[in-house]
Amino acid sequence: MKKLFIILMMIVLVCAMPLIACGEEEPAPAPAPAPAPAPEPAPPEKDSIVFGGARSLSGFNAIVAETSFNPAWYMWVEEVNAAGGIYVEEYGKKLPIETIMYDDKSDRGTLVKLLEKLITEDKVDFILGPCSTGSIFAAAPIANKYEYIMIGGEGGSITLAEFLPSMPYIFPVIQDSSHQIPPLVELMVEKGVKTAAVIYFEDLHGVENASTTVMECRKAGIDIVMYKSFPLGTKDLSPLLREAKALEVDAFLSMSYPDESFLAIGQSMEIDFNPKVFYATVGIYMTVLKDIFGDEVIEGIMGGGAWNGKQSPRAAELEAKRIEFTGPGGMEYWGFAVFWSAFQHLQQSIEMAGTLDQTVIRDILATEKFDTDFGPWWYENQVPALEAYAGVVGQWQDGYFEVILPTPKATADSIYPKPPWPKH
Amino acid sequence: MMVTILNVVIDGILTGGIYSLIAMGFGLQYGVARVLNISHGEFIMLGAFATWSLYTFFGINPLISLVICGPVLFGIGFLIHRTLFSRLQRISASTGAYEASSLLATFGILFIIQNAALLIWGPFVRGLGVYSYPVSFAGTTFGFNRLITPLFAIVISVAFYLFISRTRLGKAIRAAAQDRVTAGLMGVKINSVLAVCFGLGALMASLAGSLISITYTISPIMGLEYTAIAFIVVVLGGLGSISGSFIGGFLLGLIGSIVSYFDASLALITYYVIFMLLLMVKPTGILGK
Repeated sequence: MKKLFIILMMIVLVCAMPLIACGEEEPAPAPAPAPAPAPEPAPPEKDSIVFGGARSLSGFNAIVAETSFNPAWYMWVEEVNAAGGIYVEEYGKKLPIETIMYDDKSDRGTLVKLLEKLITEDKVDFILGPCSTGSIFAAAPIANKYEYIMIGGEGGSITLAEFLPSMPYIFPVIQDSSHQIPPLVELMVEKGVKTAAVIYFEDLHGVENASTTVMECRKAGIDIVMYKSFPLGTKDLSPLLREAKALEVDAFLSMSYPDESFLAIGQSMEIDFNPKVFYATVGIYMTVLKDIFGDEVIEGIMGGGAWNGKQSPRAAELEAKRIEFTGPGGMEYWGFAVFWSAFQHLQQSIEMAGTLDQTVIRDILATEKFDTDFGPWWYENQVPALEAYAGVVGQWQDGYFEVILPTPKATADSIYPKPPWPKH
Repeated sequence: MMVTILNVVIDGILTGGIYSLIAMGFGLQYGVARVLNISHGEFIMLGAFATWSLYTFFGINPLISLVICGPVLFGIGFLIHRTLFSRLQRISASTGAYEASSLLATFGILFIIQNAALLIWGPFVRGLGVYSYPVSFAGTTFGFNRLITPLFAIVISVAFYLFISRTRLGKAIRAAAQDRVTAGLMGVKINSVLAVCFGLGALMASLAGSLISITYTISPIMGLEYTAIAFIVVVLGGLGSISGSFIGGFLLGLIGSIVSYFDASLALITYYVIFMLLLMVKPTGILGK
């Protein structure tokens, strides 16, 4: 009996030990606390930032894509990855860039399908803008619908700019007619141009540039004595050029793509039509023009653009690398500087955001000004500020595409009048 | 006014010369070999780029390139027919089935050649500035390149016409065009003749490409627009008629020049309107039977 009592006492002591040790009474039951907020789930492990593009690797836009956006993109990615990548605070490390690039074959139907695939199936982190103004128009609503930031590509349009308030994720970067034509017309007035002939390609690019030119020339007192269009696939511009020659215009302004811009130069030379100002919107900035016609022929020809290595030591370094990238024949002095600045601005926006959240980055992108290799870059109403561009009009002088407008960015004074075509 | 008319007419002849050359090769390939060669323009592009490369890298005059590129493209065309189309012909149940399968095969050739060209030469526009200087002619001014182009086109076309009408091989080709079975029974080596026809089509395309390279800019994707022009000219001149293609080319060039004088934006529309009207009113074309 005594033994049983000792065992019971020991059990009671053992059970009471925690209470004795803590010296506390068991707390009275409290009301159930409100459930604590679930902790933020840690972002899934990430090793890279994936950019996806549906761009024109073949088809009629390929020449523009392969000389403008693509070299800038791959050169920039190489530099960023060589430095370890883009630092994203959310992941606490630098993430290198990966690229998924599909060929839209210069077809907008294909572009739209591939873009949806990149966003919904491949689930890329960012998308790249497509090639050509029309393609940007086609891609913009899709990117905006999925709230993906879209920067670029090779196309600019004042009509697109009007839609931007309803598409906050779209950032077209290339100069449009509102950037290029007013300074050009101002220069023509300063040089004493009285009459001009305008020919334009029958698409949005041609129509917008031509109508802006007419508007600006009228305001400036320049008489547009010829205003004619030509269609896709034109193989002969000589009727238009002969008419402009007969009208003895001071300025000839062609709102055209590379094929037609080059055709206009060749055929003007053939019929000895030599206006004081010879300007074409697209293609003049390509160095292939030198290979086709030679430095003497293209002397004094003006075109949309521009940038060059004379603008800063860093620009000179990038110019040399860019030439190395495609060889001298594939060089251009138009979109490279624009895209390069836009990419560097995006990188700094991501780093400031510290996250890959598109909405957060978008807000920084739209409002912040960052330094780039071509000077400060920022957006006003989702398009680059005019002052951010390295140049808007260039001119061939001694075999080099000089920036002549805007004046603060110019690397040379403009040549006026254009020298005569060389004699054979 | 006279100068304006002269300008319009001569511009038309200049463009027409190229159109004729393109269409004659295309017409031969379909008229005799029964291959509706959608890749015809790609052979033009190959001729143009070969000429550009020979000039740029070896300094060979583009007019000399005519005699280098033409035979090479002939060989390629001949081989393609002997290896691909001859087999398709053998395994096809009927002429209609052969025409359908060969049409699809030419689509394949188009993509292969175009992508190979993109890999070799890149997507860039190229061109040759040689001969693009003004020459005064009949009171007006033209580019020297645009004068020699139709001249060469006419010489080549006449030589080709004489070859078809005067030589033994030409007679075999004409016989094959009329009735290949009977021609075969008469001792014509029909498979060889058909391969020669396809090769000659490639040769004509190459010559056109060489001349185009000294007149216009060229790019690896330039082919299809020339194939479309060739198609219209062949329908205009008459399917299977070499002389019809020759005349049709000049006629279309002239029409294009006249329309361009009034409104350049209407030239291509006019081509397609002519094409549709011909199909409805006279599908055999000007000289077709």
